[in-house]
Amino acid sequence: MSSAIVTHALSKDYGSGRGLFDLDLEVVEGEVFGFLGPNGAGKTTTIRLLMGLIHASAGTASIFGLDCDRDSVAVKREVGYLPGELPQFGGMRGSEVVAYLGGMRGTINHPRIKELAERFQLDLGRRFREYSRGNKQKLGLVLAFMHDPRLLILDEPTSGLDPLNQQTFHQLVGEVKSTGATVFLSSHVLSEVEETCSRVGIVRDGRLVSDISMEKVHEMRFHEVVVEFAGDVPEEAVRAAPGVEDVVVDGHRLTCKVRGGFDAFLAAIRGSNVLDMVSREPSLESIFLTYYRT
Amino acid sequence: MPPRLLLRLHRVGAIAMTYFAIFYVIVNSAVYPLIAGKTRAAQEAFGLQISSLGAQFAWLLPLPIRPDTPAGYLQWRGYGVFAIVFGAWALLSACGAVRRDEDRGLVEVWLSTGLSRSRLLMTRTAAFASLSAAVVVVAGFAGWLGCMIAGSPAEVGGLVGESAALWGLTLSCFGIGALVAQIAPDFRAAAAYGATVLVVLFVIDSIGRSSITRSPLTDVSVFFLYNRSNAFAPGGVFDPAATIALVLVAVITTTIAAVAHTRRDLGSGLIRLRSPHQAPIYEAARNPVLGIPVLRGLWARRIGSLLWIAGVAAGAAAVVDIIDLTANFFANTPSLAPYLRHLAGDVHTVLLALIWFSVAQGVLAILAITYVARWAADDSSGVLELQLAEPVPRVGVLAERAGELLLLVVVIAFAAAAVILALAPAQGLHVDVGRLLVATALLVPFALTFAALGALLAGWRPRAAVVVLSTVAAVSYLVFQLGPLLKWPAWADNLSVFQLYGTPLLTSVFAGGLIAMLCIVVVGFAAAGVALARRDIAT
Repeated sequence: MSSAIVTHALSKDYGSGRGLFDLDLEVVEGEVFGFLGPNGAGKTTTIRLLMGLIHASAGTASIFGLDCDRDSVAVKREVGYLPGELPQFGGMRGSEVVAYLGGMRGTINHPRIKELAERFQLDLGRRFREYSRGNKQKLGLVLAFMHDPRLLILDEPTSGLDPLNQQTFHQLVGEVKSTGATVFLSSHVLSEVEETCSRVGIVRDGRLVSDISMEKVHEMRFHEVVVEFAGDVPEEAVRAAPGVEDVVVDGHRLTCKVRGGFDAFLAAIRGSNVLDMVSREPSLESIFLTYYRT
Repeated sequence: MPPRLLLRLHRVGAIAMTYFAIFYVIVNSAVYPLIAGKTRAAQEAFGLQISSLGAQFAWLLPLPIRPDTPAGYLQWRGYGVFAIVFGAWALLSACGAVRRDEDRGLVEVWLSTGLSRSRLLMTRTAAFASLSAAVVVVAGFAGWLGCMIAGSPAEVGGLVGESAALWGLTLSCFGIGALVAQIAPDFRAAAAYGATVLVVLFVIDSIGRSSITRSPLTDVSVFFLYNRSNAFAPGGVFDPAATIALVLVAVITTTIAAVAHTRRDLGSGLIRLRSPHQAPIYEAARNPVLGIPVLRGLWARRIGSLLWIAGVAAGAAAVVDIIDLTANFFANTPSLAPYLRHLAGDVHTVLLALIWFSVAQGVLAILAITYVARWAADDSSGVLELQLAEPVPRVGVLAERAGELLLLVVVIAFAAAAVILALAPAQGLHVDVGRLLVATALLVPFALTFAALGALLAGWRPRAAVVVLSTVAAVSYLVFQLGPLLKWPAWADNLSVFQLYGTPLLTSVFAGGLIAMLCIVVVGFAAAGVALARRDIAT
């Protein structure tokens, strides 16, 4: 497999310890790569370096063998890009925004645009200023996917999308992957990464902390559980259950973290009178923070 | 809201208005002896001619009072024009405070902090009132200083009264703007509706002023109330009741606006028409223009572009219309004769050259500044980021920007020239077509000179581009106006882009000026290309 994205010691120093430092990364063609990290970790900086929007302080980045800075025009012929936030196009209609940017690219694939707009149920006849946040995001996705690029660089692609459209997006990523396209996306949503990515890179404080497979991500996953009991809390049994951590009891309320499956935890509380139980999947960011703190 | 933030939100307008007011007031007062003559007899003769001219322009400005004095001239020429300029500033500030900040999502954030809508509007109004008071005071002080330099000190009491009237007018226009903005669907509509209301009020006063019988409707115009005072002129009066009425208009309109604000949905007007049901469209626009570089940008801004073309053409028609009137004024004013004597040609052609091409230069400089403002805004809003996500080089985006402005300037300039050629015979003007076309063509490098400087600034420091370019344009105009009057050396005059344009309708093309403008255009855009290529985007 040839490489879609390669970076060597890629750095962007904004001073005061902010920026991106010594990023060595390789994404192979046909891969869906998730780029993860807390806010301000350097995800968007990396994406902007790849897009040639900002210049590296040191190091190199290439896409399909082309230098991201020197050959940025050639690079962008192969790339579909979704920025973190779509700009204001004011009174322009969605259809005009698509035609305007498609015109800049030189080609407009009308059937593909129609298919994408229909799948996302995006009315391109409305003015941009009338679009909700979710609709703006859908328009951004249409713009990124409309020319069937070899590489998609997407900055938080499901931000603002409802679950149905998130599903549509995941299907779309699966489809382009099956045609051999590469996807590089940043995300905060674990389920999205699990569903779409084959590998993830974790960046923190401007440095790549880890470059791991999805199997490893599954090991890191946990749920935050809160149980309200009618009577006594079976604290000892819960503490002894494998995969259960950070148990805290406050009156009749028990909170803990459950890693892996729920079988052991459920067995521990069996027989107790449960009034209420909430299981919450924490953000990916907090999962990784927890993981790397320990 | 913190007072510092409130003041900050209006700072650009306040700074620009302060610059403008100081410059305009000084030009119309300090240099009075150079325009009117230094002897009392010359100034009295000048005053008579201004009175005669003022009667012809009563539809635009109130009748002059004692224009044979710097203060009287400034009252007519300065505070008469201020009514329009300060009114427009107040309107735009109100629409911006109510709707632009709402469109940006700022109002939503402020309201989420627990601030009530009415309190938000009231605090914004109070902040504007403070800043506008400061600008009015600075303008008044500049007028007092200008009259002092002109050798005829103005009365402080009159100055205070006139400043109070101007402040009252500014506040009332802000209130009207804030009220109209509650009804409009967005900022642009608010500005358009508000401008319409102010124009109607101005015309009501104008009709009342220039007609023999005054309609009772006139009394409702804020411009009428403002013009009740003319205290800066010697022998003028200050009408405290009219000024209090202006402040009352401001209070009432702002209060109604605050109530309206509490009753409407954020992001939409008080009156919201249901849009007709339309089937969703899932296709990209098939407009071929959107695929053509340069034209696609003009198409995206087609309404604004058409307004520029129509507005400048209307201005050209208005200038042709007043040439004969102005020629008579100059012919009967000995002190003004020297201004035309050194220029060849008949007085009508000379005036067309001086008035129209001065107006055209000013308008095209403003057009260039608005384009530079958009280029800078594209950078900060993320439009440039999305454009550069397409396979186009940065220099290509710059070239397209320049091409768009070039094409619009060409259309504006030549459409206005066509209007002049069409209307000139009816006014008895004999225009040399060849010279007019050359003079019109030279407006293109003139406008591009500002654009090149602006492109360089936008490519290098986008946030500072508009302020710096506006300052360059203002200083350039100041040098152009004051240089000949103060007999500055030629090299100093030639620092002004306006001077580099020359007077091609009357004399031969100023080759040195043209070469200098072309050099600035080439070097400016080349340097802008380098700056844009080297700079980080979207940071």
